[in-house]
Amino acid sequence: MSMESPQPLTLPTRSRPRFGDLGLRTIAGSAAVVLTAIMVAIVYQVVREAHASIGQFGLGFLTDNEWNAVTNRFGALDLIWGTLYSSLLALLIAVPVAIAIGLYLSELAPSFLRTPVALMVELLAAIPSVVLGLWGILVLGPFLADHVEPFLGDNLGFIPLFSGTPSSHGMLPAVVVLTIMIVPIVASISRELFSSVPSDLKQGAMALGATRWEMVRSVAIPQVSGGLVAAVMLGFARAVGEAIAVSQVIGGTLNQSWSLFAPADTMAGRIASQYQGAATALQRSSLAYLAVILLVISLIANVSAQLISGRIQRRMGIRT
Amino acid sequence: MQTAKRFGTAVLVTGVVALAAACGSSGGSGTSGGTSASKVLVGAGSTLVAPLMSQWEPDYTKSSGVTITYGAIGSGGGIDAITARQVDFGASDAPLSAEQATACKDCLQVPWALAAVVPAYNLSDAPDHLKLNGDVIAKMYLGTITSWDDPAIKALNPGVTLPSTAVAPVYRSDGSGDSYVWSSFLSAISPDFKSKVGVSTQPAFTVGTGAEKSSGVAASVQSTDGAIGYVTVAYITADALHSALVQNAAGNFPQPTTAAITAAAAAVTTIQPDGSVPLVNPPASAADAYPISTYSYAIVPKSSPKASQLKAFLTYAVTTGQGFGPDLGYPGLPDNIVTHDKQVIGQIGS
Amino acid sequence: MELLASIAALCAIAMLLLVIGTVAQRGAPALSVGFFTNVDAAFLQTGGGIENAIVGTLIMTGIATAMAVPVGVLLAIFSTEFAPPPVAAAVRMTLNVLAGVPTIVIGVFVYGLLVVGRGQSSFAAAVALAIIMLPLIARSTEEVLLLVPSTLREGGMALGATRARTVLTVILPTAFGGVITATIVAVARAAGETAPIIFTSSIFANAVVTDPSQPMASLPYTIFTKSELPSASDQQQAWAAALVLISFVLLGSIIGRLLSIRTRRQIEQTR
Repeated sequence: MSMESPQPLTLPTRSRPRFGDLGLRTIAGSAAVVLTAIMVAIVYQVVREAHASIGQFGLGFLTDNEWNAVTNRFGALDLIWGTLYSSLLALLIAVPVAIAIGLYLSELAPSFLRTPVALMVELLAAIPSVVLGLWGILVLGPFLADHVEPFLGDNLGFIPLFSGTPSSHGMLPAVVVLTIMIVPIVASISRELFSSVPSDLKQGAMALGATRWEMVRSVAIPQVSGGLVAAVMLGFARAVGEAIAVSQVIGGTLNQSWSLFAPADTMAGRIASQYQGAATALQRSSLAYLAVILLVISLIANVSAQLISGRIQRRMGIRT
Repeated sequence: MQTAKRFGTAVLVTGVVALAAACGSSGGSGTSGGTSASKVLVGAGSTLVAPLMSQWEPDYTKSSGVTITYGAIGSGGGIDAITARQVDFGASDAPLSAEQATACKDCLQVPWALAAVVPAYNLSDAPDHLKLNGDVIAKMYLGTITSWDDPAIKALNPGVTLPSTAVAPVYRSDGSGDSYVWSSFLSAISPDFKSKVGVSTQPAFTVGTGAEKSSGVAASVQSTDGAIGYVTVAYITADALHSALVQNAAGNFPQPTTAAITAAAAAVTTIQPDGSVPLVNPPASAADAYPISTYSYAIVPKSSPKASQLKAFLTYAVTTGQGFGPDLGYPGLPDNIVTHDKQVIGQIGS
Repeated sequence: MELLASIAALCAIAMLLLVIGTVAQRGAPALSVGFFTNVDAAFLQTGGGIENAIVGTLIMTGIATAMAVPVGVLLAIFSTEFAPPPVAAAVRMTLNVLAGVPTIVIGVFVYGLLVVGRGQSSFAAAVALAIIMLPLIARSTEEVLLLVPSTLREGGMALGATRARTVLTVILPTAFGGVITATIVAVARAAGETAPIIFTSSIFANAVVTDPSQPMASLPYTIFTKSELPSASDQQQAWAAALVLISFVLLGSIIGRLLSIRTRRQIEQTR
């Protein structure tokens, strides 16, 4: 996401555009129409699929924790729990790490290291989620179940987070995988943000005797805090929408347990595992209802991030 | 600018050449690329019948020239796919429900394989072939029996030292015929299970971990100590899993051999009006019957543009194809079912 | 604080190397000529390979690229050259929103649009991949187009060329490297997407298929299914397929990165 884009050049247009202009403008404009059509079609189609379930359950869908293909009663509460728990916990771990990496890449790293390290962080983002899921099932899950979870359970088992039987499929591997996915996104945006802090502000602080850390804390971070919020929102949206890697490691069970060892399920993961073979039409429609919820969350997160970054751009434009 | 253009062109040319090479090589090795639609039958569904299907595919193509494409996406997916007419035939271990039958619009169910669903478990320090019964298994899946040294399990296995490992039930998270059969059996034995979980291709399991497809259940059981799951016999042998013996109504613990499954099939001779033949929990008179046996059904539309190919393939499957079964744990279909099948197959028209 | 930040960066690098290293270590033993020239083995049989999966991925991403690049480049041209600022902002907003739609939702969308009533096809999968690639290509192309100095545009207009001519003969060629970069990066991303494929191309023949109206095997789906199989040889094949996919994806990302640095430098030189 680029934070700085110069204004497009707008030259005065002729009152009667020439044919070549008209031709290209129409073709290019039709691409914009295609884009709008795709966006509208996605929303329309998914809402239409969900129609039966929305009609049947309404907003109670969000507070009902039963998902039963036998009685044809479906509710998303446990799935919303699983989604929020896994995504927010992953955010909690990933955001400080990512901001630190962003700082490192923009301020602290020796310049010869910046490009290679930045490249590696980008490559982390490029790993396909199915490969992370494969690693999660066959390496991470067993490792956590055999070594980490028993240790945590034995020593810290009184904390609800670490209660329960160790399992290779569960919340903990899902959180680790999601963290790995969020870090590069937030890190690269943070780096751009920190790089864009006007150097006169930074140097001003240093000239007044601030240490590097004090400068970062009192000048850089407040300056980019809005952008960081936007970055966190994008990371959140990414985690919420991840279906494949999560469905491979999380264990596909409904529950509202705090335990990190217990298997759980997320909205996206449930769609991935059940959409194709739904036992009843209402189940298929309820899965589409989950997709609608995911769509709404991603729309809100993305639009908010856009608006925040737009405001920052304008503010920075005035500043410099 | 010039170099960028040249580089870009080089990339494009390389890509095209690579694609052409791939297409060229496929012409030699692949069959689907060049065959016309009438020489291909596409099916999807049950993972229970998938091992048998993988034997039918090459053999049938050799004898008839028609390629069979089968996607083992689970019985639920198979029912969906044939209802939407996205495939030529569906495969399901669960018969169509009333709602599904209406949605499928004149579909026929043809039992074309006989199989058993077997509890697979992973318990270090314990022997193979532990004895269980429907009540104990139901309690495991309801969460009331939580460790392998529970008195109820000990009572069934006198003289066996059982570790205190926690029971970790595994179930199918996708729409599954195995789940249907498993939940039918447990619901028949345990009213508690029936009311709390129910019978379905997607029962409302409350305890345990979900896994997709029989292979996923096998993998999950294999990787977790104390896990118990359900798959058909072919996956037990293929993945060297431990399987439990299940007590039947007569009080015996038959191995899921072809003989025991055949005995279960022999105990049920009535075919339901919708074409299904439930075999779960045969009466006590069938002393050696395996209690969790099932037919697997091909689901085909009564009228189809590929009627003749379907008829030929289904006839092959219920006659010659059955020969591949016993090695994988599927006994051959009983004669009365084969007769019934031929009559149903005859109803497929265009 | 510098120490903490360095540790954080080190963690990220360690994760990357750990995952890639595991994939390489576990997948390399399964790589062989047969792996690339055979299709999947039947149940209970060993051997087999990913030939049809590789071909399928190539064809699907090829078709997706053919659809996404023209629309993406035209979108970028529209928002940089022709659209009034509010419209251009709206286009950018829509692109960013589209980029944020979870890929599983796009899979559900394309399933309802193209698979219901028609059957699965790799063309449907390609459409889903094209929708995923579109915002990436459009945004990157737009960035490159904006880098082209306005002196070039003004020069064209001063010489009496139409806007269209200026764009097509001056600006686009300058930005061509950027378009290639955007495409490479988008292809690398699309090649690894699994969610759109599980609903559109999951029932396929166990042979090399080249007809887009039929479903095909694909690398991500093969990895997905084999990752959940219990047998050690299947799991090893999953690792090997992942190695092939990761090599392709990482190579594409690195080439894209290097190319983009080069393009920027070249455009700078035209100032």
